[in-house]
Order: sequence, then structure tokens, then C-alpha cells
Amino acid sequence: MSDTAQLAAKLNEIWRASRPIILERMAVLHATQAALAADLHNHDARREGREAAHKLAGVLGTFGLPRGSELASALEEILQADTPLTADDLTTLATHIAELESVIASKP
Amino acid sequence: MPRRILIIDDEDDIRAVAALSLETVAGWEVSMAPSGAVGIMKAQEEQPDAILLDVMMPVMDGPTTFRELRSLPETCNIPVILLTAKVQSADQKRFSDLGVASVMFKPFDPLTLAKDIAAVLGWKYE
Repeated sequence: MSDTAQLAAKLNEIWRASRPIILERMAVLHATQAALAADLHNHDARREGREAAHKLAGVLGTFGLPRGSELASALEEILQADTPLTADDLTTLATHIAELESVIASKP
Repeated sequence: MPRRILIIDDEDDIRAVAALSLETVAGWEVSMAPSGAVGIMKAQEEQPDAILLDVMMPVMDGPTTFRELRSLPETCNIPVILLTAKVQSADQKRFSDLGVASVMFKPFDPLTLAKDIAAVLGWKYE
């Protein structure tokens, strides 16, 4: 087996081991979405969601999911802005979270 | 002699992938720490050739850890590369003012991480 193939095989092992924590971060994003839908000024939910998005942005591309990192970065951006969230932001948040879930599910 | 790298990052998966990459692709020796405090102790003990340091960590973040490393005689000359998922313009200025060797971005490519580190540190890489 070549070095590249060995690396890919080991990366897949790490991916499978990391999957539970990645799904936990997705659960945080879903909770953030629900909390912000109830109260756009829920700063704690916004911060927790931002942190989860930041971590996903940093790791997904490393596992060969660059679209996942892009979506997570976009989520981080929305949640990081100092300005109050709008209904449009919530719609974008929901769309990105749904797509991010699909991207993660696409990698067994 | 293989290069020795210390990775300081609170995220298990990032540490694992970076270590795997540097060991498998470049044959370097990797040591890991899950926090700034542990990283500083390891850096003092092990004297790595370079440190890959995450920016956003709980308790002691990357910039704080870097300043502590710079204040200690045993670690003040070890090159440090900050690793971050996001750099805004204000952060870029803050990081360059700190005096780190470089800033690298997550997500990184496991196939090229070692080459990228070697390039920013001026190390020969084959």
C-alpha cells in the first residue's frame, strides 16, 4: 500500500472515531437554530452555535469535505456578526445547517 | 534526524490528523498536547524543532500560550506556527504583531501539511 493510500485509510479511521463529536457539534447547531427561532437575542445560543460552527469549519475540509468547511464558516460568520439577527439570517442558518447535515451524512 | 514537532490543539481529531500527516507523509516525530498549559510543559521538556499552535482554545488560547512560550528561556527560540480556522483582518494584525513564524489555516491538507510547514520555516523538504 502506498503512503497516500495508507494515509487515506488512517484518515478514514480517524473520521469514524471523530464522527460522534462531529454529530454532537451538529446537534449544538440544531439547538442554536431552535433557540434563535424562539428568541433572536439569545446570546448564549448564538455563542455556542458559533463555537460549534468554528470547530466544524476547521476540521471537515481536512477529512475531504471542503463544502462542509465552507458551510460551517458561513454559519460562523452569521453567528459571529455583532448586528442583531434577522428573519432572513434564520432562514439562511436553517438552509446551511440542512446542507451541512447532508454533507456529513455523505461520508460514511 | 527527523524533525520533531509539537502540536498544541484542544481538538482530538485535529491533533490526530495533523500527527498522522506529519508522521506518515514526512516521517517527522510528533508530540501532542491538548491545552496551552500542557503544551508549554512539553515544549520545555522536549525542545521540539517547531510548534503548531491552535488559536482558539479554552482557558489558555493560542496567543496567550505563545506569549508564555516567548517569556521562557527554554522555549523562547522555538518557531511557532499559529493554526486557525478563521482570520479576520484585525486578527491578522494581532498575530503578526505577536511575532509568530507564520499563520496557517484549517482545514489543512494532510498530504501537504509537512511541506507547507517546511516552506514557512525555510526547512529543506523532500
